[in-house]
Amino acid sequence: MTAWRRFLTHRAAVVSLILLVLLAAAALAAPLIEAALGVDANAVSLLDRFGPPSAANWLGTDELGRDVLVRLLHGGRVSLFVGLAAAVGSAVIGTVIGLAAGFYGGRVDGFLMRLTDGVIALPLLPLLIVLAAVDLGKLGLPAGLAQSDQVSLYRIIVIVALGGWTTVARLVRGAALSVRRREFVRAAVALGASDTRLMLVHILPNVASPIVVATTLSIGNIILLESVLSFLGLGIQPPLPSWGNMLTNAQELIWSAPMLAIYPGLLIFVTVIAFNFVGDGLQDALDPRSGGTRR
Amino acid sequence: MAINRTLLGYGRFKRMGAVAAVLMGMTSAGAGAATAKDELVIGAVQFPGTFHPSIDAMATKGYILGMARRPFTTFDQDWKLICLLCTELPSLEKGTAVEVTRSDGTRAIDATFTIQPGATWGDGKPVTTRDVLFTWEVGRHPLSGVTNAQLFSKDIVGITAVDDKTFVVHWDKFRCGYDAINDLLVLPEHLERPVFETDPGQYRNRTLYDTDRTNPGLYFGPYRITRVEAGAYVVLEPNPTWWGEQPGFKRIVVRTVENTAAMEANLLSGEIDYVAGEVGLSIEQALAFEKRHGQRYNVVYKPGLFYEHIDLNLDNPILADVRVRRALLTAVDREAISRQLFGGKQSVAHTGVNPLDRFYSDDFTKYPFNQQAAVKLLEEAGWTELRDGIRQDASGRRLSLEFQSTAGNRTRELVQQVLQAQWRKIGVDVRINNQPARVLFGETMRERKFPAMAMFAWLSSPENIPRTILHSSMIPAADNGFSGQNYNGFRDAEADRIIDDLEVTCADDQAKPLWTRLQQIYAEKLPALPLYFRSDSYIMPPWLEGVRPTGHQYPSTLWVEQWRSK
Amino acid sequence: MLRFAAVRLLQAIVVLLIMSFLIYGLIGLMPGDPIDLMINADPNVTAADAARLRALYGLDQPIWERYLNWLTAALQGDFGYSRLFSRPVPEVLAPRLLNTLLLLGMSLVLSLMVAIPLGVFAARRPNTATDTAINLACFAGISVPPFWLALLFIILFAVVLGVLPAGGMAPVGGDGGLWERLPYLVMPVATLTLVSIGGYTRFVRAAVMEQLRQDYIRTARAKGVPERSVVWRHALRNAMIPVVTIVALGFGSLFSGALVTESMFAYLGMGKLIYDSILGNDYNIALVGLLLATLMTLAGNLLADLGYAALDPRITFTETRT
Repeated sequence: MTAWRRFLTHRAAVVSLILLVLLAAAALAAPLIEAALGVDANAVSLLDRFGPPSAANWLGTDELGRDVLVRLLHGGRVSLFVGLAAAVGSAVIGTVIGLAAGFYGGRVDGFLMRLTDGVIALPLLPLLIVLAAVDLGKLGLPAGLAQSDQVSLYRIIVIVALGGWTTVARLVRGAALSVRRREFVRAAVALGASDTRLMLVHILPNVASPIVVATTLSIGNIILLESVLSFLGLGIQPPLPSWGNMLTNAQELIWSAPMLAIYPGLLIFVTVIAFNFVGDGLQDALDPRSGGTRR
Repeated sequence: MAINRTLLGYGRFKRMGAVAAVLMGMTSAGAGAATAKDELVIGAVQFPGTFHPSIDAMATKGYILGMARRPFTTFDQDWKLICLLCTELPSLEKGTAVEVTRSDGTRAIDATFTIQPGATWGDGKPVTTRDVLFTWEVGRHPLSGVTNAQLFSKDIVGITAVDDKTFVVHWDKFRCGYDAINDLLVLPEHLERPVFETDPGQYRNRTLYDTDRTNPGLYFGPYRITRVEAGAYVVLEPNPTWWGEQPGFKRIVVRTVENTAAMEANLLSGEIDYVAGEVGLSIEQALAFEKRHGQRYNVVYKPGLFYEHIDLNLDNPILADVRVRRALLTAVDREAISRQLFGGKQSVAHTGVNPLDRFYSDDFTKYPFNQQAAVKLLEEAGWTELRDGIRQDASGRRLSLEFQSTAGNRTRELVQQVLQAQWRKIGVDVRINNQPARVLFGETMRERKFPAMAMFAWLSSPENIPRTILHSSMIPAADNGFSGQNYNGFRDAEADRIIDDLEVTCADDQAKPLWTRLQQIYAEKLPALPLYFRSDSYIMPPWLEGVRPTGHQYPSTLWVEQWRSK
Repeated sequence: MLRFAAVRLLQAIVVLLIMSFLIYGLIGLMPGDPIDLMINADPNVTAADAARLRALYGLDQPIWERYLNWLTAALQGDFGYSRLFSRPVPEVLAPRLLNTLLLLGMSLVLSLMVAIPLGVFAARRPNTATDTAINLACFAGISVPPFWLALLFIILFAVVLGVLPAGGMAPVGGDGGLWERLPYLVMPVATLTLVSIGGYTRFVRAAVMEQLRQDYIRTARAKGVPERSVVWRHALRNAMIPVVTIVALGFGSLFSGALVTESMFAYLGMGKLIYDSILGNDYNIALVGLLLATLMTLAGNLLADLGYAALDPRITFTETRT
């Protein structure tokens, strides 16, 4: 409970957390809000392009006459989902690799850490571009998935997770190495506990805090990365909205309809800041040595 | 306005001495708008990879070279074939083209061209038939890397020089297009021969057009390239050996700004004077720009030969039924799309033939927007049951189609979403799955791997006979090396026959009915869904005069000497 | 130490070799080849033309054979020609590399010049309103989409105020000297700097705070060393070790980080070049460009390790083997 209480003293983090929860709730409730307002996120209306805010369209309409508010909420679902899924994905991969390296040590450790170095050495963005262009059908994915609307979504998640696990792997390995030498682990080994049990029950809980912090911080970065990929035309593909592709689309309309760019830009900005603050707060809370408490 | 602001800005910097001087020098062009300008800065979204005229076709390259070189023949702004580097088009009537029978008995044609007497390379050497022969030699050499080798190695079986200025082109067979050698782009023999002969296989890398781009001897147009900053800009200055009208600008700069939002900023800040339609902004951006800055710029929309359409894979069992194809087209309100998205500047297409083409006919089936009619057609085709808003046939198959286009092309993505919504209303489920252009064209279309629909544009020259697109021998398949562009898989015996006939029917009054019939077949069978003809948008400063957009693949710079500053 | 450097060098070469094959293979996996793009640009190209061109560019051979050919030539210093630019690869790459290094160098120096004092400043007054404000500003910098920031800059400084060029490298017709290029560098450098300052500042702050808690600082203070000197001379000097590390480790990612900035400001740098070459199917450029980026990362890692060892004698290189 002390960690939680310490977190609560980090005012910015608390405000950010509340904000994120609200945002996530609004995004999850997008279909309900859609119904309540009586608008349809995908209903194209060529006669109502660039509409001003009104009772039905609180934030006006976009270049195809669709409700901006509802699309922002749907976009939030996608952006937050990408951020969360990719961050958790990288955390899982990183934890497995880091645990294995730290626990077994020796050759396993040497190999895994060289692998990690290798992946870190990969220039991420250009490789993302290469990977985004790879034909998924060729890789043996079922045609149904490879051709669905959502394929760009899953592709981004997979690619980011595959490239982003190194931070967590290094953290976990370092922590696992030090935990392994501690008395209680040695005792457990003496009692004949299996490797899996040792890793899951004894070591994992002790390396959980850095994982949580790193994952939280990476969610924001991934949301930002998605917007950059959209800027390059390699992000989430329309009609699926994401904040990134909404912002990129609006870029060309920056002179005629600036608000269309300002809303998603602001949401990305606020969300990423909020995740950073929450991560910061978590770090202070879980690892009091790192920064000292804040008021 | 912008100029005032610019000057104000400089004033602020002046206190800083040297920095201000640098800034002043930087856009000195922006300062003197009141008087006639000597310099024109044109914005383009691309930078040419190579400057060699016949290697790798590319819009920006053609645009720039249009100022520095001329083709023998080309289409003008009224879509008529004219001579630029030659003196007169060959013609059967005048006897400058004669029908001949080759030794193997084929009916063929020889056409005589004469090079402009004043045509002179920038280093003072006249353009002669030796250059033409050399060009042909390079073009048909298997290692030279020339993109369109068909013209040199197949269509033209021989070129004879009569004298220094006159030559005869021997065509492989009788063809009505005997008078057009648009793609025979003459190379300077005196400069390029040594490079070519040293190693033909390395010619494409070692050509002076890429190793010595500012060599005056490579150009003979009103301008010549005097400076190339790779990726950034190309400077052109008047060529003293030019035979025609003296050009109006002392300097033309073509600057590359790839990001279109940044392009607009450059225009507004006065660093770019003019954004060329051939290589510039999308119509949507131009419309938005006109709305805000229309009083400061002339925005000109030139309807063109970009035929935006949706290719249908006719091997798809759903699309094999012509009623479904008609229903799809009928359910789409193309007029509204054109009006609302494109300000009415892009006309609705009914077939692949542009209404501005002289062979356009109005006598064919059209499919005006009518949802009820579309629904009726679908029901006739057996798509009767509605489940969750999507139609099914008796066997429970869903009416679901995949819809592809080039990812990142904003206009197409917008139109796609409109179409998706409109088709949804008649119970057709359409899934958008876009690919980067290099993937879509590089593989998906070429190998006919698109499952149902793909939206893109064909760019053609006027009066282009659609052999590669509609002839049944042009369906790409593994056994023909995936050649041809009949991606739809359209097979129609009558269309094939008309296409064959058109190539040898030269008299307008005989060709016209064939063209009409071809359009009727197209409209009836709908191998593809016609959407609209794209317009190029030219954003010109009010002081720029004489620019006449062409609307086809040959750029307006071929008449750059007529451009003037008011 | 020397042995360690040699081992790392050897490792780097192996990594580079593996990377070159990986990248070659990845590019090969992408659908379509340069000839397909050419065919698409010119409807008159026939199957025979395509086959001829494909053979001419060596694209009809299996990928591993092409890779070996490339590798053999590359090891002899022949990196081939760029398809997109029709020039030999080094001739295309060299100016781009210099441009990017100039851009990155300036923004790095600038970021550190701001981040170090700011970080120290914040570390000395933890949890005050000032610290919180700095923290907020740092996060703001980290969290803004870079192309968005670039666009705002262009609108403000190039269009509304008209004091800076909206993009490009140097004035048309100039000699391309550094002095001429300065106005063109202002906005790209500012964009890159603003998005990277936050991270560095927070890092400096954390490192300095860590040092300020150490015993030797307490000792120094007890001895009556003036606070200024304690912070700036003792704490900061030691805090610089991790800061240098993080800067060196970031070398490789800087390339990709500059991509967005480069394309917004039409700045001809490596990031944009690599991106264009991948989309334009320019094998030779893409390969060498990506390998250069990898090399930068490896060099950064090596520098970080060596620097670490040199600055902090407590670190040995056998520690990892437990």
